[in-house]
Amino acid sequence: MNEYLDNARRSIQRAMNSSYHSLSTVASTAGGLAATGGIQLIGRLLGLKAQVSTESMAGLQTTSSSDLGSPSTGAFDEQQRRLISVVCGFPKDIVMYPDYVKGQFGEDAWFKTSTSKADTLGVADGVGGWRVYGIDPGLFSRFLMRSCERLAHTADFESTRPELLLARAYCNLLEQKQPILGSSTACVLTLHRESGTLYAANIGDSGLLVIRNGAVVCRSEEQQHHFNTPYQLAVPPPGQGLNVLTDGPECAALLEFDMQPGDLLLLATDGVYDNVSEELLLQVLSHAAGVTDPIKLQTYANSVALMARSLSFNPHHESPFTQNARRHNIDAPGGKPDDVTVILASVV
Amino acid sequence: MSLLALGGGGGGTEDGSSSDTEPDALIDFTTMLMERKHECTGGWFSCGSKLQSQAHEDHGYYLGQYVLGVLDFSSQYGIDYSISYTASNVIGRPAKFPAYGDYPETFTMRTYGDWWQQAPSATQEIQAQNLPALPTHDFIVVYFEKFVVPTEVAIFETFNPGGVVRIWAYSITKRWSCLWEATGSDLNHVPRDSRRFAPPLRKTNIITKTLRIEFNHSRLNYYTEIDAIMLCGRTVPMRCMHQLLSPAGKRLANTREESGNGPISCKLRTLKFQPSCQGNDAVKLHEFINNDLSKFLMDSRVESEQQKNNSTTRICLTDLPCEILLKILSYLDLKSLFRMGQVSRLFYDISTQPLLYCDLSLKAYWQLADSELLCTLARRATMLRKLDLSWCGGFGEISPTEFKKFLTQRGDNLTHLRLNSCKFLNATCIETVGIVCDNLIELSLRNCTTNPPLLNFSCLANLKNLERLDLFQTAFESELLLSMLESNRKLKHLNLAFCGVSVNMDNVATHLGTYNTQLVSLDMWKAHFLSARGLQSLSRCQQLEELDLGWCMREATLGDSLYQLLYNCPKLKKLFLSAMRGITERDLMHIATLGKNLEQLDLMGILNITHERVYDILVHCSKLKLLDLCFCDNFMDSDFDLIADWSRLFNVDIKNSRIYNSS
Repeated sequence: MNEYLDNARRSIQRAMNSSYHSLSTVASTAGGLAATGGIQLIGRLLGLKAQVSTESMAGLQTTSSSDLGSPSTGAFDEQQRRLISVVCGFPKDIVMYPDYVKGQFGEDAWFKTSTSKADTLGVADGVGGWRVYGIDPGLFSRFLMRSCERLAHTADFESTRPELLLARAYCNLLEQKQPILGSSTACVLTLHRESGTLYAANIGDSGLLVIRNGAVVCRSEEQQHHFNTPYQLAVPPPGQGLNVLTDGPECAALLEFDMQPGDLLLLATDGVYDNVSEELLLQVLSHAAGVTDPIKLQTYANSVALMARSLSFNPHHESPFTQNARRHNIDAPGGKPDDVTVILASVV
Repeated sequence: MSLLALGGGGGGTEDGSSSDTEPDALIDFTTMLMERKHECTGGWFSCGSKLQSQAHEDHGYYLGQYVLGVLDFSSQYGIDYSISYTASNVIGRPAKFPAYGDYPETFTMRTYGDWWQQAPSATQEIQAQNLPALPTHDFIVVYFEKFVVPTEVAIFETFNPGGVVRIWAYSITKRWSCLWEATGSDLNHVPRDSRRFAPPLRKTNIITKTLRIEFNHSRLNYYTEIDAIMLCGRTVPMRCMHQLLSPAGKRLANTREESGNGPISCKLRTLKFQPSCQGNDAVKLHEFINNDLSKFLMDSRVESEQQKNNSTTRICLTDLPCEILLKILSYLDLKSLFRMGQVSRLFYDISTQPLLYCDLSLKAYWQLADSELLCTLARRATMLRKLDLSWCGGFGEISPTEFKKFLTQRGDNLTHLRLNSCKFLNATCIETVGIVCDNLIELSLRNCTTNPPLLNFSCLANLKNLERLDLFQTAFESELLLSMLESNRKLKHLNLAFCGVSVNMDNVATHLGTYNTQLVSLDMWKAHFLSARGLQSLSRCQQLEELDLGWCMREATLGDSLYQLLYNCPKLKKLFLSAMRGITERDLMHIATLGKNLEQLDLMGILNITHERVYDILVHCSKLKLLDLCFCDNFMDSDFDLIADWSRLFNVDIKNSRIYNSS
């Protein structure tokens, strides 16, 4: 747990000032006021976006090339794209969280909502290390996701800019009367109905996978400072800013990808990706392609979540976490117990 | 939501479920279908599908709808780019109702109770006699999706109910009509629980989809919060709407409202300043005069004509000298003054004397004020000193040209100008203000945020005598503000709440410390970029009596700056430090020792407060009247009883609400 908090130092004034400044510029661009810093921010965002999209293009080419683009013979129907999404998950410690609360699994939180322009999904993984300091880690992630959900319904929500949604939700956290402290990773994505394009903003090690015809065609980039120290949005206790690792919403990795009907979208926290390898996920989800019945889709989500959970408690399993640890010269055999959150969505 | 909901119950108390079902449908079909006799085919409206109701389009149907959007609001607690405690939370279904508590998913206004009137920055109302017994402090204008004839307006209050005093509706004939007005007894004995407030509306035939809700905070204990507003009524069939909206229909509607055709009434109509007489009142008056007047006179023991000859000569009103009459008339509100002018030639001459129009306020008549009225007033108000056009002209009734003409004619001696929430203002109007009214002592431009912002405030730099400047919720250029601060050295009251992210408060604070050391009150609610350095510069304004730094510094560390401020400004009476999470226990000890004159102290959301510090403050600040300790999460549950005891012991109003159940 300590890995999240100690070691990494960022100069407080630089981090808080830059995150404040860019928060405010982001907030002001969202609010329609002009700000000079906004141009630099947008430039950086575009740079990040280009970087990620080239990676995903590279990923596209390594996988089967016959699937590039929808077959031109098939009728590209003018119908707007929709997501049929289901959720499943488990908290790490069932004893601490015995009841199901919508929007939360232990310290993880999620939301899904749809508006007339887009379908929006998001997950956030609260950093558990805060519990030592008497702060409930799930509070931060839950509020973040709930703010995203509410902000998605405002009139000035731009469905092609999920990073603005995340930034505004982060600003909103600071405007609560009840003091909310803590930190979490976050991944928010929107599917723009008309164009069928997926836009995603990711901070930290949660992520999304797009599966088409039994292969992964798009995955989000995982952001880590060090081993097991992901990028995270944080609100530190006052006076502790120097000691707390915090990243701003401008660090989000952006993604843009065209979706087709029949694609499968998996949005999950690191509880899944650290315990279940991609091959295993593909095996389980290969038959889920094209499924539009939510009940059937729910069974697939349940199996992914259950698989992640059981593997996480398995001391002999060669998990991606173990492989990654080995790369960093750390011995961590078996799975990694963590909260599991799975949102499985099918594009129609 | 079933179309046929058996079992009665008023329109649509939905459970505040979240939005993972279909996107918010703002129109529900409610049980009112059951209660009305309907002239539909088949008599009794037994509905099945929506298709059937389409067939009944000709006759209209009852529906209840939630707010679709917000047009205007006078103040809100939260800032625009967030969605916590802001006006946009009234949109859609209620999110928290029927839970009771202080939730961020509701609409909260900036003030409560009488505290702001007792603060050093309190203002006097201009022409206060115009205001009704329960004056309006705040308002919100909302619109819905469908035009209806309103039968019920339900307001879902989730915290401290009892703030609503008036409900207005804007009909398609472009007039505001008051659907309900509170009497004093309505505001008493409101139970502290969430409620669906649906007062009995006046019977009316107007067709509307825009409502204005007005609030009065004076009896509220703490902030009032609104979760949703529902408008229930009968829709109007399309053909009736077309009829009413066509020019012929408009004339029809107008003539129906006119009462009487005598010369005086005609003159009144040209003035367009007339009491809204409904047909019923004229009939009632007739009946009274015919049947009851003689009895009334006898009951009041008024002498009849025969006995008059024997009595001594009596003095009547017209015998009094002009000056006395002027003095008497100066107590009248504006409407009555206009009515006096219709009595006789003498009274017309007296009531149009310019001395009666030195202080002019159209705030209480916002629904009637239009360009013609301004024109009329311009003729009379040659010695205008104080002008209040707040809230007027919201729907285009006042044209900017007319306003500029008025100001150019009569504005050069103006000392007080209030243009709060005036939607007709554009850049050239502000320019005129800056050029013409250079004797201004007070300028209030609250809630003038337009899109695009009224950035052309540059002519305001012309004003050099300002003592009070109120830019609450208004966007402005910071260079302009800085230059205004430099030129107005006598500035005493400055309100920069909600000025937005484009203004750097540190720079403003430095300027204040250098140029405006006479400052008495300063409001920086939700300002940005204030740091310890800015607070230190502020400590040079040693006359400060009121300082509102709510939500200013948030996470930033204060260092010694608060101590310096308290040390240098001993006259501080009101200090708001809401959500300044960087306040330490040392700072609280300093507040106790140095805040001798403190009367209002807001420490909401401060993390490091313990009840010992609270006790310190209560003991040392002997003049303290208000102490806000809400959301100070450091308190144990057991401390609350202790604090309640202290509140009684020291006679201080202590607020300590928190979210009762986190969900």
